[in-house]
Amino acid sequence: MEPLLRTQALTKKFHQVVAIDSVSFDVRPGEIHCLLGENGAGKSTLAECIYGFYQPEQGEIFVEGKPVQMSSPAEAIGRGIGMVHQHFVLVPTLSVLENIVVGTNTSGILLDLGRAEKEVKRLCERYCVELDLTTKVWQLPVGQQQWVEILKVLYVGARLLILDEPTAVLTPQESRALFEILRMMTRENMSVILISHKLNEVLQSDRVTILRKGKKVATVKTDETTREELTAMMIGREVEINLTKDDPVMGPEILVIKNLRARNDRGQAALRGIDLVVRGGEIVGIAGVAGNGQKELFETLIGVRKARAGQISLLGEDITRRSPKYIQEKGVAFIPEDRFAEGLVPDFSVEENLILGSQRAARFKSRGFIDFVRVADFANKCIADYEIATPSGKTITRTLSGGNAQKLIVAREFAQAAKLTLANQPSRGLDVGVIEYMHQVLLEKRREGGAILLASEDLDELYNIADTIVVIYKGQIMGAFPVAEADIQQIGLLMVGSGTDEFGVACRI
Amino acid sequence: MNLGSLKIEPRLEPKFSWQLLSALLALAMSMIVCALMLSAAGADVGKAFYQIYKGAFGGWNATVKTLVMSTPLILTGVAVTVAFQAKIWNIGAEGQLFAGAMMAYWASTFLSNSPSGVVIPVVIMAAFIGGALYGGLAGYLKARFAVNEVLSTVMLNYVIRYVLSYLLVGGSWRDPSSFYQQTPKVAEAAHYPLLLAGTRLHLGFMVAVLAAVTVYFFITRTSLGYEIRAIGFNPTASRFKGIHVGRTVVIVMLISGGIAGLAGAGEVFGLHFRLKPDISTGFGFTGIIIAMLAGLHPIGVIAAAILFGGLVNGGIRMQIFTGVPTAMISAIEGIILLFFLTSAVLTRYEIKRVKADG
Repeated sequence: MEPLLRTQALTKKFHQVVAIDSVSFDVRPGEIHCLLGENGAGKSTLAECIYGFYQPEQGEIFVEGKPVQMSSPAEAIGRGIGMVHQHFVLVPTLSVLENIVVGTNTSGILLDLGRAEKEVKRLCERYCVELDLTTKVWQLPVGQQQWVEILKVLYVGARLLILDEPTAVLTPQESRALFEILRMMTRENMSVILISHKLNEVLQSDRVTILRKGKKVATVKTDETTREELTAMMIGREVEINLTKDDPVMGPEILVIKNLRARNDRGQAALRGIDLVVRGGEIVGIAGVAGNGQKELFETLIGVRKARAGQISLLGEDITRRSPKYIQEKGVAFIPEDRFAEGLVPDFSVEENLILGSQRAARFKSRGFIDFVRVADFANKCIADYEIATPSGKTITRTLSGGNAQKLIVAREFAQAAKLTLANQPSRGLDVGVIEYMHQVLLEKRREGGAILLASEDLDELYNIADTIVVIYKGQIMGAFPVAEADIQQIGLLMVGSGTDEFGVACRI
Repeated sequence: MNLGSLKIEPRLEPKFSWQLLSALLALAMSMIVCALMLSAAGADVGKAFYQIYKGAFGGWNATVKTLVMSTPLILTGVAVTVAFQAKIWNIGAEGQLFAGAMMAYWASTFLSNSPSGVVIPVVIMAAFIGGALYGGLAGYLKARFAVNEVLSTVMLNYVIRYVLSYLLVGGSWRDPSSFYQQTPKVAEAAHYPLLLAGTRLHLGFMVAVLAAVTVYFFITRTSLGYEIRAIGFNPTASRFKGIHVGRTVVIVMLISGGIAGLAGAGEVFGLHFRLKPDISTGFGFTGIIIAMLAGLHPIGVIAAAILFGGLVNGGIRMQIFTGVPTAMISAIEGIILLFFLTSAVLTRYEIKRVKADG
């Protein structure tokens, strides 16, 4: 069977960095082909070359056997290749229909919305997508916004759909619905390239091409491989996916939150009566779609957001209205969601960032001044202990990779004995290797008897390391489950705040 | 032959040698443009440059005069630099200079019979406090009510000038024996001692240099200096790590204003010996240019301020001997700043030759 798309020894460089190195692979009609790899492995670059966004230095692209020059996305669209980016490119104030039609070649100077509406409605029916075309995009949940993006691609008649990390923002239900639609498409001989590093999704594809450091490792049939094999190919060595996790040894209650209420930056209720207990030696995982109060919860716990009501106790002491400094000094470590914006001073050197928060500590001072020799000693120890890859301690932090920035934060936060560790999305955007490292660090804290509160959008992560999973939705805890009894379907439903499957596909085949 | 291609990349660690090179390059470029401008104005370029040099650094007398002129500029430059470490634009050094001068003058009126050893320390302290309170007011407005400091400091410049005018016109500070708006002369004992006999170089210059050096160590070596830089770069992360951002903003504006206030005292007690509205000819604003020119480095401020002091004196000489108006000096200052700011790119990026494929 002639492949729909084939690349031959594609190479793309940025400066002296080779982003993809002589990659050859092909996509057959009617298959879901997954590109699997760590961050920076070259998945997105490869896709952007196919989509005409980047021009490769070497190699060729064939569409249905014919060599083509993809000089621009317009060219790719013209050849039936469409792409949905990780960050949606929708106009929030326009309606669904307008978003789909605007910018397509079918629209002339005047929009013929009537004709377009019929066409889009036909597409919706064909793929059983229930969407009100007149709704403004900003009113839609993220999962439905993604459908709008996909409809945009279908509307211009794509035969090959490229999805870049499509489920990063979806609940399990939304993700399942997405895959059902993708399957309907492939049944009609459309092809899908799916970029992902989530193994659960990858395993739903037909074939997988694994990339590592810009090179293709292999292309395998999905039903002839295993999770373990895929992971090993992706990171180049065997990894224990399920970390060794001792049975929990529950200590005393370290963090007790009672009826906590707080507002978000816009003054709306963000926490609406949170009750939560974290014990020593326990990891409590907060499951939830981003924006349901996780950020506000952590900010209130570390004292930078005002609690409107309720009480936070740390080892029996009421810290509800204490300053961030006081709370930190009591042994609370915080790993924020946005590393460079909330956790670090990017323009400071690595050394300077390592003492952020303890710049007044006696151990870094002599005769009233900061003693940079002591700071450098401390920094070098941190760099070695936490395997931070940096040219030196004097390097400007901005230049570090996300993984190393995260390690820097962890090194700093754990420099003092942390009784309570707060981590908001600690593995977002990190490589499998660093994620694994983060999990080990958190489990080590747990073994030491520390209490850990971890929020993650990645349910696999929570199932891997948490002892208790709680679900947060619109500032309320919807339920708490010991991890062994936590049913992923139920958790998924609670994450969207209902017991009904409101994001399901409208008709099933 | 394969030469490869050149790529521009951000530097991981800025190098001093490149900072120096970029400064020299900027100076050379500004001289070329200034030359073009002077010749367009019909002046003899060589002669004009020579007279500027003569007036600025041509000989002992000229050099000392330049140092005298640079004294308030060092202080206002350092004041702006301190504030900008916290990314606060202190456009109010001019007003803080007056606030310092007024507070110092007011304090000195209580000590008309005291010896120098008492009155001079009091004058210096009062000047710092006056400027600090005035700068701190803008800091407080920013920290408490999120008032943009550019607006508040600019407006406060006017307020203090009018308060001074009021005191000198209808108020009690006016010298009754004088036609001009000015105070009576301050007591002999309050005069800043001269650093070099027979010149006008006064204690203020030493105060200025000392302030610059102190600020350098303060910013780079102390915990508070660290916090000031941290809130400048990333207030969110600083707040998350327990730094009280609002309080630090007020403190940094107290310090910045205080240093600008010292400039006011220097002009009153070191040069004019009375308080009048023209003790500053925009020193607070020139301080902003100087701070930028110095790359916000307190020690660099000393050099930049001396350069600008020289330009002012040289400009006067240029006007006398070549007829080119001193206004040209303002243009030259602007050109120098523009080239310095652009050349700063050199210190942040590096050009690398990369081998072409093959």
